[in-house]
Amino acid sequence: MSNATTQELKTDQLFINLGPQHPSTHGVLRIGLTIEGEVIVKAVPDIGYLHRGTEKLAEVRNYHHCVVLTDRWDYVSAMPNNLVFCLAAEKLMGVKTTPRADALRVIMCEMNRVASHLLFFGTYGIDLGAYTPFLYAFREREMVLDLFEMLCGARLTYNYIRLGGVMVDVSPDWLKRTGEFVEYFKPRLDEYDTLLTYNPIFMARTQEVGIVSAKEAVDWALSGPNLRGSGVDHDVRKSDPYSGYENYQFDVPLGKTGSCWDRYFCRISEMRQSLRIVEQAIAKLPEGPIMASGVAKIPKPAPGEAYAHVEGSRGDLGIYLASDGGISPFRLHVHAPSFINLAMLQEKLVGMKVSDVIALLGSIDIVLGEVDR
Amino acid sequence: MTNDELFAKISAKFPKIDKAAVPVKDYLTVRLATTSDLVPFSQWLKDNAFDMLETVTATDLLGPVDMKGYISQMNFNPFLPEGATPQIVAAATTGYPYKPAIDLLYIFYSVDLRARVFLRLEIAREGVSVPSLVPLFKSADWQERETFDLLGVRFDGHPNLIKILTPDFTVGHPLRKDYVHIKDRFDE
Amino acid sequence: MAMILEKLPGLTKGLPGGELLLTTSDYFIDLGRKQSMWPMTFGLACCAIEMMASYASRLDFDRMGVIPRASPRQADVMIVAGTVCKKMAEPILEIYHQMPEPRFVISMGSCANCGGPYYDSYSVLKGVDRIVPVDVYIAGCPPRPEALQYAVVKLQEKIAKMTLKKGLATPQQEKGSRDINA
Repeated sequence: MSNATTQELKTDQLFINLGPQHPSTHGVLRIGLTIEGEVIVKAVPDIGYLHRGTEKLAEVRNYHHCVVLTDRWDYVSAMPNNLVFCLAAEKLMGVKTTPRADALRVIMCEMNRVASHLLFFGTYGIDLGAYTPFLYAFREREMVLDLFEMLCGARLTYNYIRLGGVMVDVSPDWLKRTGEFVEYFKPRLDEYDTLLTYNPIFMARTQEVGIVSAKEAVDWALSGPNLRGSGVDHDVRKSDPYSGYENYQFDVPLGKTGSCWDRYFCRISEMRQSLRIVEQAIAKLPEGPIMASGVAKIPKPAPGEAYAHVEGSRGDLGIYLASDGGISPFRLHVHAPSFINLAMLQEKLVGMKVSDVIALLGSIDIVLGEVDR
Repeated sequence: MTNDELFAKISAKFPKIDKAAVPVKDYLTVRLATTSDLVPFSQWLKDNAFDMLETVTATDLLGPVDMKGYISQMNFNPFLPEGATPQIVAAATTGYPYKPAIDLLYIFYSVDLRARVFLRLEIAREGVSVPSLVPLFKSADWQERETFDLLGVRFDGHPNLIKILTPDFTVGHPLRKDYVHIKDRFDE
Repeated sequence: MAMILEKLPGLTKGLPGGELLLTTSDYFIDLGRKQSMWPMTFGLACCAIEMMASYASRLDFDRMGVIPRASPRQADVMIVAGTVCKKMAEPILEIYHQMPEPRFVISMGSCANCGGPYYDSYSVLKGVDRIVPVDVYIAGCPPRPEALQYAVVKLQEKIAKMTLKKGLATPQQEKGSRDINA
């Protein structure tokens, strides 16, 4: 619409609520949109519909009990959550994990990254109207969840990575099946490319939308594929390696313009790199115990503070843990990537069309458990 | 650059800033003396490649957490005898320096240098406010709102300092150690 | 159609053995209702992912007639999957009242049943049955997708016991859904 026509027409602003219940399966997020025609004038995200107060609950839970709480933050990929809390608590207690435990942790986190990005791929397709990739993605995700269930009994909230190591050792049968899954899955990624990635409608809906420049991305402290989609080379596994990541060879995919398509493509490429890491880890799996000695039944770390962070599937997940010598943490703070990535919506949505809101929201890939904690 | 090089650079420009007494393990932790140091120091960090403000949070140092901040249920575990306490009760550790203050924590990160600086700033629990870092770093926006909501720290110059996580009817700041839960219409 | 069905119990009361006439219409009405339950997508937290998994390829929910509908006006059953926080309690009530009768509620997961792992938190509602009447509870954290499908089967059995005598809507909802013979 040209400027001349808009000045003649008398338009009115409409306030609509996007959520808290909406079919875009990201959870309970509410965005109050003030729209004029089809263009958004003001966007106010309203979160807190899933605020369970885990930071306060952690102050009356045992350190071992806290690991159970951590699963439920980024519930789509629960292993990195367990891992980051265990890394912080191990730093506090001064416990060093065994090499076998480290390698197993790496395998689990990378497999979970594959499962999480598969869910992103399926739900992003549904958001934009493509219902088929969802079924394909869940077919493979069920296979990954089967492997996890074979190992630790749970499909979604594992509580597998414990303080000092992991819960139970893998059997050679499990390793064989995981290797078979990796071989089975590699051609599937090419199949997904034919489904969605180079689809003209998908590209038209995502390539010009939600462009975040590198400087903006750093200013908003984005992390994960949101930051790498804008071209900033920051991956915690490379800059601050943990659990033996320096022993594995993998690339970090970067985007060019910072559009929704770039972020989406980063995640698809990350799945390939995760498979590489899993192959290397299985091949080089060292022998030995899986649990370090020196972790008490009721840990009471000496007073101190520790910060640990990992590359979760959503971004840079960090934990700040302070202890006063008691059996519960004195302060547990979660640096939640989804919470921080979501903040840029209030500025980015202004000037966009309503149909682009879902494309942008889906490409940030938030999980409300992490936003609200 | 190592932590010592970084600290040398910082003390060259800001001699009053000192290393924190209890550092976060393996990271450079500095303690600011007054709240008026915050904005100049953050501006200097931003000009010197530390352009990502990762975290803004705080810790309440008052004491062990008050159990009345939690909703406990009578005889929650049917296998325990009447009157036994099934859940963990927070107890004070002797010798830990509890004090009626709130300790802020800021984490700055530099993507180019791959270095991290932790900033601590102690303020009183009531009556003081801290200058907001929103004009410098946009990521401070929601984090300061969360710190205000959960701990009651006021930030001057924040464009929109209102509740973000807790529901409207929550009275008080939940993450404070002396928070007492007041029954709302959803508790019976 | 509904007006005719409403009058039927009154008409058949006087006839000897009149109740028998109603049983067939009961059977077919209940068959129609239970074999095409359309839940509203109300995934709140982790249990929502298992709910999505039950709609997906491996455990297809469509074979049971269950199709997710986004709008409460077109839905039969509300599957409350996930932690119900106090801030979300009022939207849940609004949405429950927007659903047309007969409507059912399935409470999925430990958090929706009783507060779950967050039983002592200041901002979590201790179970969704404090605000809406629940028909089926599913235990688990999160429950398997097969458990959700079994819950739908149980709900189907419960619907099969509904009769026209008590009215077309579900009076057991108003009285307390645990008592099916009321």
